[in-house]
Amino acid sequence: MSALLEASALLYAEAAALDERRWDDWLALFTADCLYHVPAWRDEVTPTEDPTREVSIIHCSGRAQLAERVQRITGGRSVASMPPPRTAHVVSNVMLAEESDAALRVKSVWASHVFNVKRQDQHVFFSRVEHLLVRQDGAWRIARRHALLLNDRLPTMLDVYSL
Amino acid sequence: MRRADIAGLVDDRPADGVFRVHADAFRSHQVFDLEMATIFEGGWCFAGLDCQVPHAHDFFTTRIGRQPVVVQRGGDGVVRAFLNACRHKGALVCHLQRGNAKTHSCQYHGWAYDSSGANVGIKLLRQGEYTPAFHAESHDLHAARCEVYQGLIFVSLNRDVPPLREHLGGMATFLDLIAEQSPQGMEVLPGTVTYTYRANWKFQVENTGDVYHFTSTHPSYIDVLSGRKAQQGAAADTTTYARFREKELVRGSMCFAGGHSAMWGSNPTPEARPLYESLDEVAARVGEARARWMLYVRNITVFPNVQFAENASLQMRVIRPLAPDLTEMTGYCLAAKGESPAARERRIRQYEEFFNPSGLATPDDTTAYEDCQAGMQAGRVDWHQGYMRGMAVVQGGGDRYAEELGVVPQTSAHGGFEMGDETIFHGPYRYWRDRLVAGA
Repeated sequence: MSALLEASALLYAEAAALDERRWDDWLALFTADCLYHVPAWRDEVTPTEDPTREVSIIHCSGRAQLAERVQRITGGRSVASMPPPRTAHVVSNVMLAEESDAALRVKSVWASHVFNVKRQDQHVFFSRVEHLLVRQDGAWRIARRHALLLNDRLPTMLDVYSL
Repeated sequence: MRRADIAGLVDDRPADGVFRVHADAFRSHQVFDLEMATIFEGGWCFAGLDCQVPHAHDFFTTRIGRQPVVVQRGGDGVVRAFLNACRHKGALVCHLQRGNAKTHSCQYHGWAYDSSGANVGIKLLRQGEYTPAFHAESHDLHAARCEVYQGLIFVSLNRDVPPLREHLGGMATFLDLIAEQSPQGMEVLPGTVTYTYRANWKFQVENTGDVYHFTSTHPSYIDVLSGRKAQQGAAADTTTYARFREKELVRGSMCFAGGHSAMWGSNPTPEARPLYESLDEVAARVGEARARWMLYVRNITVFPNVQFAENASLQMRVIRPLAPDLTEMTGYCLAAKGESPAARERRIRQYEEFFNPSGLATPDDTTAYEDCQAGMQAGRVDWHQGYMRGMAVVQGGGDRYAEELGVVPQTSAHGGFEMGDETIFHGPYRYWRDRLVAGA
C-alpha cells in the first residue's frame, strides 16, 4: 500500500475511534511521548506558534495527558461531558507533506460535526490538521497532532472529540 | 419597568437574615435592556490593557455594552476612546482587532478621522453645497471618557461619571496586588480564547467568587490531580489546587462600593506559583503583607465586566453580555514581565488546563450556568436561595484581614474552605439594584 493510503487509513481510524467513542483505540494511535496541540490565535490572521511563550487552546504532552481527558470524558463526573455528544468527523484533502521510511508528515482538513443532545443544538468545528506519523512496532503511530482550529469562537466548550 | 419592580428583584433584609435574588434578574429582556443602558453604557467598563497600545497611534477595537468602540493612543501619547461609527452614515471606521493607524478613513464615503477621533476630512466638502447648519456641527467621532489605572484601561460612554480611581475605591488595592508582582509590571500573553455560553452574564460574575461550587462542579478535575499525585508524588503539586483540602484553609470575601467584590484564600501550595521564585525581591519592594497576599488565591470582579482569577494561574476574563441568556467571554493570560522561561511555561500550561473553555474545569462551570438558565424557564422558580451562606458571620466594614491589607470594604466575611461564603454576592447585587433603580 502506498504511504498516502497508509496515512489516510490511520486518519480515518482516528476519526472513527472518536465518532464511535472507542477511547482505548483512539489512545493507542498515539505514541507515549506524543504532542497534541491546538494553537490559539494572536489576531485575525496569525495563530500562536511558540507554546512555551504563547497560549494554546489545547496543549497536551504525552499520551498520559490525553488519557486524563478520556477519563474526564467517560468518568461521569464532568457535567460538561454528559450526556455524550454525537459526532461525525469528516476528514478530507489528505496530502503527504514529507515522506521517509521512518516518518510521514500528513496534512488534512477536518470538519467535525458535534450534536449536543442535551441542548439539541449542533456546531461544526473546522480545522487544518498536520499529523507527524512515526513507525512503531511495524505500525504508524501519531507522534504529533497539530490542529489549527479556524472557527475559534467556541460555543460553550471544546474537547478532543470536537476536533 | 417601574422602580419598585426593579428594587423588588433583590430581597435584601439583613436584619431578618435574608438575602435572595429573583429569577427575573436573569431571564427578563426588560431587565437586560436596562442593564445595558444604565450599567454597561452608563458607567465605567473595562476596555483593555495599556500594554496593548504601547506606541503612538496603536489602537484596539472592542465593545462597551452594545456599542463599538476604538481605544487608541494618540500622537500625543494620550489614550482615548471613541465610538467606532462614522458621523456620516454610522459605518465602522476601524475594522481590525488591533493595529496602528494615524488616520481612519470610512470606506463608504471617505470621511477621515485622526488617531484622536477628530475629523480631518470630508470628501468633496466645498463642492457639497452644505448649509451653515452642517458646518456648525461637530464631525468628530463621539468621544467617551477614558482613564487608566495600573495599566488597565476603563471607558465610560456616559461622560457624567466620577473619576475612575473613585469608582474603583478599595478594589484598587486588589489591582495593585496583580500589577506590582514584577518591578517591570505585567504583560498579556499572545493568544486569547473567546467562547459564548447560553446563560446570563451575572452567573459568571457570581461563579468567580463562588467557593461553594468547587468540589461538586469540578470532581473530574480533582480526579486528574489525584491521579497525578498517585503517580508522581509531590512532583505533581504544580497547581494551587493540588493540596487544597489538606490544610486548614481560610477563605474570605469582601464587597466594595461600586459593586466590586473579592474572594481570597490562603494558599496551601505557594511554591507552585510562578511568583514564588522571586518572592524575596517582591517582599522587599511591596512589604511582607502584600507579598503574602500576592500568593493567596484571589478571585476578583471589577464590576461589571472584568475579572481576575489568580489561583491555578492568573486569568483576566472579560464579560460581554449579548442577551439575557447569551454571554460572550474572552480570556487573557497575564504574566509578570521578566519571569524565568520555566515559570512562564508552567504558568501557561496551568492556565490552559484550568481556565480555557477547552480545559478540564471551565467547561463544567459554563455548563452549570446553562443548566441554571434552562432550569429557570420553569415559571415556579422565583427566588434563588443561593445567597445566604456566611450570613451569620458577615460583618459591616473590614475584618482583621482587610485591616492587614489596608482596605475598607462595605462588608467582609471569613471562615473555613467549607463555609462557601455567599455574602460576596450581596454588594454586587445591591449596587446593581441601585443603578437600575436610578436609571429606570
